[in-house]
Amino acid sequence: MSASGRTGSAAPPLARRRLLAGAAAGAAALAAGGCARGASTSAQPGTTSISNDNATWDDGYRAAGRELKKHTGYALRPLSNPSVTSYQQVVQMTLQTSKSSDLVKWASGYQLKRLARAGGLTDLTPVWDAYADRGWVRRASRDAFAYRGKVYGVPLYESYYVLFYSKPVFAKLGLSVPGSWDALLHCAEVLKRNGITPFLASQVGGWPAIEWFQELVSKTDPGFYQRLVDGEASYTDEPARRAMDVWHDFMRKGWMTAPDFDQARGPGALKEGTVGLFLHGTWQASGMSAVGMEPGSGYGAFLLPTLRPGTPRSVIAESGVFAVPSRASSHDAAMANVGAWLDPSVQRVWSDFLQDSSANPKVRASNPVVAGLQRDIARDRARALVRYWEASPPSLVQGNTNDLGGFMAGQTSPAETLRRMQERAGDEWAAWKKDEA
Amino acid sequence: MSTRTTDRRSPAADGAPAADRPAPARPAPARTGSGTRERLTAGMFLAPAVLLVALFLLAPFGWTVHRSFFSDTRTSPFSWFENYALFASDPALTRSVQNTLMWVVGTVVLPFVLGLAIACMTDASRLSRFARLCVVLPYALSGSAVAVVWNFMLTTDGAVNQVLTNVGLGSFAQGWLLTWPGNTVVMILANAWQATGVAVILFLVGLRSIPPETLEAGALDGANGWQQFRHVVLPQLRPVSIIVIGMSLVNGLKSFDLIWVLTQGGPGRATETLAVSMYNETFLELRPGAGAAIAVVLTVIVLAASWFYLRRQLDVKGV
Repeated sequence: MSASGRTGSAAPPLARRRLLAGAAAGAAALAAGGCARGASTSAQPGTTSISNDNATWDDGYRAAGRELKKHTGYALRPLSNPSVTSYQQVVQMTLQTSKSSDLVKWASGYQLKRLARAGGLTDLTPVWDAYADRGWVRRASRDAFAYRGKVYGVPLYESYYVLFYSKPVFAKLGLSVPGSWDALLHCAEVLKRNGITPFLASQVGGWPAIEWFQELVSKTDPGFYQRLVDGEASYTDEPARRAMDVWHDFMRKGWMTAPDFDQARGPGALKEGTVGLFLHGTWQASGMSAVGMEPGSGYGAFLLPTLRPGTPRSVIAESGVFAVPSRASSHDAAMANVGAWLDPSVQRVWSDFLQDSSANPKVRASNPVVAGLQRDIARDRARALVRYWEASPPSLVQGNTNDLGGFMAGQTSPAETLRRMQERAGDEWAAWKKDEA
Repeated sequence: MSTRTTDRRSPAADGAPAADRPAPARPAPARTGSGTRERLTAGMFLAPAVLLVALFLLAPFGWTVHRSFFSDTRTSPFSWFENYALFASDPALTRSVQNTLMWVVGTVVLPFVLGLAIACMTDASRLSRFARLCVVLPYALSGSAVAVVWNFMLTTDGAVNQVLTNVGLGSFAQGWLLTWPGNTVVMILANAWQATGVAVILFLVGLRSIPPETLEAGALDGANGWQQFRHVVLPQLRPVSIIVIGMSLVNGLKSFDLIWVLTQGGPGRATETLAVSMYNETFLELRPGAGAAIAVVLTVIVLAASWFYLRRQLDVKGV
C-alpha cells in the first residue's frame, strides 16, 4: 500500500474524530453558556431589569425608567414574555435561582400571597410604610400587597372596572349616562331596538368570564362580595343568586355578545356602533385611543349603577405590583427603584403612558375620562373592592372562572353554576387554610 | 488464537468426508480481552443515545410517576392514588376522557377514509398534481396557524355564520365553538382538514408500489372497478394503512395545539382532551400532582394502544 493510500485510508477516521471533537466542544460551549447567567438578567450598570408579561408596556417602562434614573441613578430594562401562562412559570422557577430579574411584575392579592408563600421575595414593608407616610398609597389596600403581615409588593398601577361607551352613538340615540339601574335597563333596551348589542361579555382567554360576575355581585351587595371572596359567605346565598339571575336575564334578552367575542375587538365594535357598552378595566383607555377614539369626545366611561338605589357605592379595582426577588442580581438598585416608583414625577410619566389612573392617589390621571371616574369615585366614597381574580386563592378562582365560562356558553343554569362554585370554594378554602396552618 | 483458527477450518479441509465428522462446533467466543473491548466500544457508541433518552425521557417520566402519588397541598404528602381517583370524581376529567375518545375515533377514521379516497381519485386524474397540492398544503402549516384560521371562521360572528346568513341559511348559524359535543366535532373536522394531507401522501406511495400486473390479472378475471379496489388494491395497501392508522391513533390521543388555540379547553372545560387537561391542571389550576396523574394515564393509554395495535398488525403481516 502506497503512502498516499495509507493517508487516504486514514483520512476518514481522522475527519470523523475531528467532527466528533468539534461537536463535543460545541456542545460543551453551549452547555457552559447555558449554565452561565443569562445576559438578559445579568447586572448591567445604571439599569434594573424588570420581568413583564405585557410587551406593549415596554416603552412606558423605559419612559418611566428615564424619570426614575433622575432619582435613583437606575433606569428600567423591560424583559417581556407576552404569554401570561409561560410568564408565570418562568417567574416562579427563576425566583429560586440566581437568574431572576431585578424586578418582577405580578398580580396583587392571593396571587402575590401564593408567590410570597413559596419564598424568594424581599420584604418591602419599610418601603410601603414610607409611601403610606407620604400618602402615596391607600393604607386600606395594604392587605392586597401583604402576606402574614409583611408587604411583598408595591403598587404598579391601579385600574377600575367601568363601562366604556361611544359618545357619538349615545348622542345619536339620545342616550345619557345612566345614573340608576332602571336608566341602565332603558339604555340597553334602546340600544337593542337599534340593532346594537347592549353589552360586551366574553370568556375568550378564560379570565374575562369573571367581569360580569364580580360587577353584578358587588353592585348587588358590596359587603356580600367582600365576604364571599374572603370565604365567609356562600356562592348559593341570595345576593349571588340575584346577580346571576340578572346576568342570565340579560343573556336571554340578547343583550350580551356571544361568549366567543374577542375583547380585543371591543374598542372597534364600540366605534362602529355594533356594541353599546364595554365592561373592562380603565387600562383599556389606551386601546380606545388606538382605534382613533378621543377621550371625552369619542368615548366616555361610567361605573355600573347599583341594582337598588340604597346599595352602597363600590368599584372593582385591579392592582398590579412590583416585587423584588431576594436573589436579584442588582438588589440594591431594585430596592432604590421600588422606593421611588410612586414618586409623583415618575407616576406622571407612567400614568400618561397608560392613559390610566396611577396607583398613587395624589397623581391625577391626565386622561379626562379616567380623571372624571377618579373624581366620581372620591365624591361617592365608592368602596374599592379587589378584583375577583386576585381576591381568593388562585386554584379556587381558576376553577370558578371555568364554571362561569361554562355558564356563559349556556352549559349550566345559574343555580347549578353557583352550586359548583360553592362546592369548589369549600374544598379550596379548606386546602388554603390547611396550608397556612 | 490457535483454537479459533482450527475451528474456522472447513471440515473437508482435513481430507475426510464431512458426513463422518462430528458437526463443527460453533465458533468459540472471542478472547475475553477482545470481547470486553468490543463491548466497551459498542457501549461507548450507544452511551450518548442511551444517556439522552434516560436523561430527557425516562428520568422525567419516572419523576412524573413519583409526583402523581403526592398531594397538591403545600406540604405535598404521599396520597396514594388520590390524584388518580379524580378520574372518577371530577366531571371535567370524565368529559376530557370522552373528548379524547371522540378525537381518537375522528382522527383515525377521517384522515384514513378521506386520505384513501383522495389518493385513489387523484392518482390517475389529469389534475392530480394540483389536487394533491391543495390537499397536502395544509399539512405543511403549523397547528397553531391552522387554529387561528379556523377561529376566524368558527366564532359566532365569524366567516361561516356570515356566509350562512348571506345565502339565506341564517337559521343554521350558531356558536360552533360554544356547545358540546358540536365544538369538539368541528375541531376534529378542522384537524382532519390538516391531517389528511399526510395520509394522502402515504397512500399515494402505497398505490405506486402496487404492481400493475395484479390489477391486469384481476381485470382478466372479470373483476369490476370496486372488486379490484376491494380485493386487489386494498390488501396491498395494508402496510401503508397500518402506518396511517398508527400515526393517527397517537395524534388523536395527544391532540393539543388546535384545541388550545381555538378554545383553550373551554367554554368551562367542555372541549378539553387529556393532553389539555394535563396542562390545565398543572399550570392553570396549579395542581401538579393531578397533572402528573393525567400525564401517566395518557402515557399508558398511548403506549398500550400503540403496542396492541402494532403488535397485532405487524404480527399478522409477519413483518
